[in-house]
Amino acid sequence: MSVRTRGYWLYLVPSLVLFTAVIVVPFLMNVGASFTRWSGVGTPRWIGFGNYARLLEDERFWQSFQHNVGLIVAMAVVPTAIGLVLAAALFDYIGKRFGPRTASALRAAYYLPQVLPVAVAGVVWGWLLHPSYGAVNEILGLDLDWLGDPDLALATVMAVMVWFQLGYPVVIFMAGLQRVDPAYYEAAEIDGASWFRRFWHITIPQIRPEIFVVLLTCTIAALKVFGPIFVLTRGGPGNATMVPSYFSYLNFFQKSNVGYGSAIATVLALIIIVVTFLFLRVQEREQ
Amino acid sequence: MVRFRGAAVLAAAVLVLSACGSGSETPAPASSSQPRVLKLWHYESADSAMGKAWDEAIKKFEATHPNVKVQFEAKGFEQIQKTAGMVLNSDEAPDIMEYNKGNATAGLLSKQGLLTDLTEEAAKRGWDKLLPGGLQTTAKYDDRGVMGSGNWYGVPNYGEFVMVYYNKDLFAKHKVQVPATFEEFTAALDTFVKAGVTPIANAGAEYPAQQILYQLALTKAQKPWLSAFQSYQGKVDFHGPEFTYGAQTFADWVKKGYIAKNSSGLKAEDMGVAFMNGKFPMMISGSWWFGRVASTIKDFEWGHFLFPGATLSPGSSGNLWIVPEKSENKDLAYDFIDITMSKDIQNLLGNSGGLPVAADPAAITDARSKELIETFNKLTSTDGLAFYPDWPAPGYYDVLVAGVQNLINGSKTPEQVLDEIAKPYEDNLADIGN
Repeated sequence: MSVRTRGYWLYLVPSLVLFTAVIVVPFLMNVGASFTRWSGVGTPRWIGFGNYARLLEDERFWQSFQHNVGLIVAMAVVPTAIGLVLAAALFDYIGKRFGPRTASALRAAYYLPQVLPVAVAGVVWGWLLHPSYGAVNEILGLDLDWLGDPDLALATVMAVMVWFQLGYPVVIFMAGLQRVDPAYYEAAEIDGASWFRRFWHITIPQIRPEIFVVLLTCTIAALKVFGPIFVLTRGGPGNATMVPSYFSYLNFFQKSNVGYGSAIATVLALIIIVVTFLFLRVQEREQ
Repeated sequence: MVRFRGAAVLAAAVLVLSACGSGSETPAPASSSQPRVLKLWHYESADSAMGKAWDEAIKKFEATHPNVKVQFEAKGFEQIQKTAGMVLNSDEAPDIMEYNKGNATAGLLSKQGLLTDLTEEAAKRGWDKLLPGGLQTTAKYDDRGVMGSGNWYGVPNYGEFVMVYYNKDLFAKHKVQVPATFEEFTAALDTFVKAGVTPIANAGAEYPAQQILYQLALTKAQKPWLSAFQSYQGKVDFHGPEFTYGAQTFADWVKKGYIAKNSSGLKAEDMGVAFMNGKFPMMISGSWWFGRVASTIKDFEWGHFLFPGATLSPGSSGNLWIVPEKSENKDLAYDFIDITMSKDIQNLLGNSGGLPVAADPAAITDARSKELIETFNKLTSTDGLAFYPDWPAPGYYDVLVAGVQNLINGSKTPEQVLDEIAKPYEDNLADIGN
């Protein structure tokens, strides 16, 4: 560290204190609780790795992680892919043909679900998907139990999450596209490149940092998803939509198994840290 | 000069702060004229029978305790259910609180030493005389937190039970009589199915479906089985005749169309609203719906009957008044409980669609309420309250929700579901040292 930058460490002190108090200490306390058998009240009993051993054998826990993979597809992969196409179309086609105002209005429309509280969105989707009077069945002329059928429930939640997440990548990608030098597109157009070739060879490489950020943040959101599951299915039917964060919550607050709930939360936090680390490493290498 | 002024300001600030500090450390002198505050939490909605009765009890308490202000906070059931342990272990605990009864709830808190032992008060104030035997079960917990014996850790002052609500107009339209036996009941269900009507409103994502399964198991159950299941006084065989019959019959009912196949993701509210909208001839659920059903249904006649063919029905005392161990005003909390037990509050509860435990029968003027209380008294006089299926183990509610959802969807066999619900029960038994 140079003498010139040493003095600036002082400015990091407030955030370091906050980070320690809000993140590090609770995390360490959680890790500590995960080595105990504890109902949340009274004296915790030290059981070492007992909760982790139990986790390894817990079918519900592993099942919940499988569901997480589906939710990563629904909350990160699909919205990123669709978001890229939509952002490019809004920026490159709608913006130019119908004016920037139309593009902005459409962008805001895609972003609207992100503004809605998840509880409100969940309740409304609950009505729309209701097997008896839901608008979705009415419009499609079907008679499906979208959230009550174990073969459909996870796919339905995934579809709702695509709707919920889509606006976020669209907004980020459109912001990214603003900084792309228009000369690239103009040159490509003069060379006779099609829209798809411009999208593939200019748009995607140019906004790669934004794509990384969106994929990373959405993957983390998918790993710790709780609200939509709580409102839509509560992990059911059966355990068809159980996810680790809801499973942890059940153990914490329903079963008073604070030690076991902490172990689930710790594993989840570690997985999120590893995923973040891997993403950042790949991104660094790309740059 | 500037430096001097700064030092003077600093010195003055230190003096002011130290004055504040010393002031706050000295406790204010206690005096008899200083008003006291009773912190009370409950989760009954204002328009429910209990909400009305407790509101009146607060007024009566303040009138009889002129020097006390009741600081009431309305809470949500889930809110208290999920956080009670932590709240009662903190300094934010109220002086008196409504709480759910059962081993996994009040029992757990009593075991953790968070609740005041009310045994002496119950005897001194006569609460033990006012509550018939079956209703005392949920008030007492032993040192393992198991209900039915030991000390008093809560006081219930109303009751609840599961019954069959029925739409009299739909019964008349399809020429169905109120069934007196289980055979007549299934015959009635068949009549509706043949006419293209799903007879029973259901909701698999919350408590209703599991209560139907439990009610079916209870048609084969006797008291010793119940004591074994709820109070661990014996071994429960989940593949024995009771639960096997319950799960098998429930699955059959879905296959036969008595219960809708698409009801697994529905909430209790969906079920209640569908029945109140006249879409189903029957709803098997608790007396907690009674007041709302009475005030909502305007388009058809309705009534209720006990599930035919069973001497036991899901039901119990109502929720409990508990006094947290950390309460600073226990004497006031006891006085408040006493008032909720008084005749006029109990009569108000009865006339508002609730099930009082100590009302004056002559004072219940509402005909429907009178009928409901008579049914309840019939059940309690035969010791027919069987509590609820999710009580025996913490977190068992979700286990049962998942189990019955699998039965409704047909994604698991009754045997597989029984295995699934047996395991957490056995795990809990191991936990409590049995």
